[in-house]
Amino acid sequence: MATFARAIRAYGLAVACVLGSIALAALVEPYGHLADLAMLHLLGIVFLSLRSSVRASMAASIVSIFAFDFFFISPKFALAWSDAESIVTFVAMLVVAGVVSTLSENSRRQERAARATAARTQALYELNLELSSSRDAHQLAAVTARHLSRLFGVPVSVLLQTPEGTLEPADTARDRVLSHSAWLRREFIKQGAPSGTAIWVPVVGAHSSLGAVGLRPKLPFEQGSEQELLLSACVSLFATAVERVQLASAVRRTQLEAEGERLRSSLLSAVSHDLKTPLATMIAAGAALIGRTAEIEPKAADDILRSVVSEGERLSRLIHNLLSVTRLESANVELRRTPESLDDIVLSAVERFSDRARRVPITSEIDANLPLISAEPVLLEQVLINLLENATRYGGSDPEIAVHARAADGSVLVQIADNGPGIAEHEREKVFEKFYRGQHANKSDGGVGLGLTICRSIIRAHGGKIGVRERAGGGTLVEFTVPFAAAREQLSREASLDS
Amino acid sequence: MNRSLLLVVEDDPEMRSVVSFTLRNYGYDVREAATGAEALSQIQTRTPDAMVLDLGLPDIDGFVVTACVRQEHEFPIIVLSARGEEQHQVRALDSGANDYVTKPFREGELMARIRAALRRPVPVAERRDLNVGDLRIDSTQRRVFVRGKEVMLTRTEFDLLDTLARNADRVVTHRQILRAVWGPEHVDEVHYLRVYIKLLRTKIENDPARPTRILTTLGVGYRLVSSEAVS
Repeated sequence: MATFARAIRAYGLAVACVLGSIALAALVEPYGHLADLAMLHLLGIVFLSLRSSVRASMAASIVSIFAFDFFFISPKFALAWSDAESIVTFVAMLVVAGVVSTLSENSRRQERAARATAARTQALYELNLELSSSRDAHQLAAVTARHLSRLFGVPVSVLLQTPEGTLEPADTARDRVLSHSAWLRREFIKQGAPSGTAIWVPVVGAHSSLGAVGLRPKLPFEQGSEQELLLSACVSLFATAVERVQLASAVRRTQLEAEGERLRSSLLSAVSHDLKTPLATMIAAGAALIGRTAEIEPKAADDILRSVVSEGERLSRLIHNLLSVTRLESANVELRRTPESLDDIVLSAVERFSDRARRVPITSEIDANLPLISAEPVLLEQVLINLLENATRYGGSDPEIAVHARAADGSVLVQIADNGPGIAEHEREKVFEKFYRGQHANKSDGGVGLGLTICRSIIRAHGGKIGVRERAGGGTLVEFTVPFAAAREQLSREASLDS
Repeated sequence: MNRSLLLVVEDDPEMRSVVSFTLRNYGYDVREAATGAEALSQIQTRTPDAMVLDLGLPDIDGFVVTACVRQEHEFPIIVLSARGEEQHQVRALDSGANDYVTKPFREGELMARIRAALRRPVPVAERRDLNVGDLRIDSTQRRVFVRGKEVMLTRTEFDLLDTLARNADRVVTHRQILRAVWGPEHVDEVHYLRVYIKLLRTKIENDPARPTRILTTLGVGYRLVSSEAVS
């Protein structure tokens, strides 16, 4: 369609030029020489040759010659070839038309090619720009599909190889066959059908075939045409980008694995001592009792058994903490958050904690009208228990612990204060690091330097903050925030529904 | 007294023998099973009065065992699970278990759960007075008395208390309570529950900040305590 329209336009222009130069010559005729009239015709031909194809210009110049002869050379209104001079003029016109139009067509072709190259470069540049900001293969596929369908004005499907080693399915059965053979055989496939020509281009990476890109252009692409080049160039850009992300994710995976491995081995070495000690106690205590229940005083036996239980509980806490670390350290943990009331969680933590440290007085002061918070309750309880444990451990010889909670700026602020020696300023960040133990830490108290690390992971996962400050009047104050639950889950509204 | 028969299903031999030993000490008859299949066949031979079930069995998932048993039997199931797996506890309770105990557990806790489970819950259809410790609930007239003194409750507060009281000393999961009180379309609206538990506590607890009647089990549900289990 486009070529036909272009031809119509070219020949229309040719006719207009011929008619124009005849009209102009007719106007000038009374005042000028025949040579001047010939020049006017030549002018028309040159004008036409500059913007039309060789064929159209040649045709126009021949028509022009006949018209000139017919209208202006006597005998007028008849075709007569008498004058040698005019024959020279005719030949000159033909040669000029031929040369000018060839030259101009060449330059036009070059210009067109240059413009196409520029457009292609621009398109590729834009595609590349967008591809470079995408992080996963499916995003890349979506970007490429959008780009190509804008370039070619038809929907484009970009199919990737799945992790299972198959190709994502195309929409129709025929396209599934074509896309598969493009992908497997790494061939550019063009197949005509009544419904239009389907083109499938393999997405070929350095090592493997990564997928296939398919479209049904409105007009079939010609072999080696600009569109075909552009399509291939875009697809190969896409292939490079896909390989880049795949490589990056492989690297990331390896790093994560290495990191996990490192974490595991350092955890293992750090905790093996702490796992062994209570176990050794338990085994020794149990062995001491075997076969001797009759001869040991009941009270002494009770003491031994109590130590078995308390060591076992210590072991259980340690393992629980370890499990939490592994869960929280693994990539993208999903919290199971529900609307919770903080007092329930504090209460539960204090109760569980008091079970094993009955002697430590804990005062808690929780604002009665706190909004609900959005939290995974058991994790938050663990934060509190770890903090209470620290407060007891480092709270001085006669520990006193205070828990405060109040609303602050869309969150609940919880503070746990002890009356111990406090934490030196330069240590206040470090205490949250894995396996870091403060200067007051006792080597044999069963701590491994994970408690605060876990607290920080949990609080951060909730979108809160945790920090250590000096308590007014001495001691350590650890405070953290947990965001409120959504407004629709807050107290007053539903409460008023009831009668 | 007629001794109750308990079935202990636990794959770890040490744990199984400790649990069985403890239960026998408390005067129960105990049978043991190491796998889910064994448990199901034991139940076929002789129906126990209650079952203590470990969730992590080698052959059949504990949830599946619960569901299988529930198709034919009503006897209480007490689930043993590791702490930090609240979602498992909730799933077990929602799929028909009556209560759960987290490992590691104290003997007293396990015994209290078993005692509570062996007392059958009061069916909702049955209208009668419920006495939970010093709390008396008159279901017919929908009146509540704390230590003989009447407390005025709203309709929802009463339904909530009634649901907990019918399952006294057992954890009732959030979903179970929400379904019973607010209806099946509200089973995920945990915040309703938080609001009403708070309101209810201000009315029936001596010190609402330190509740002793309605206890929270974080991430799982609530438990109404009769004085017997408070000990």
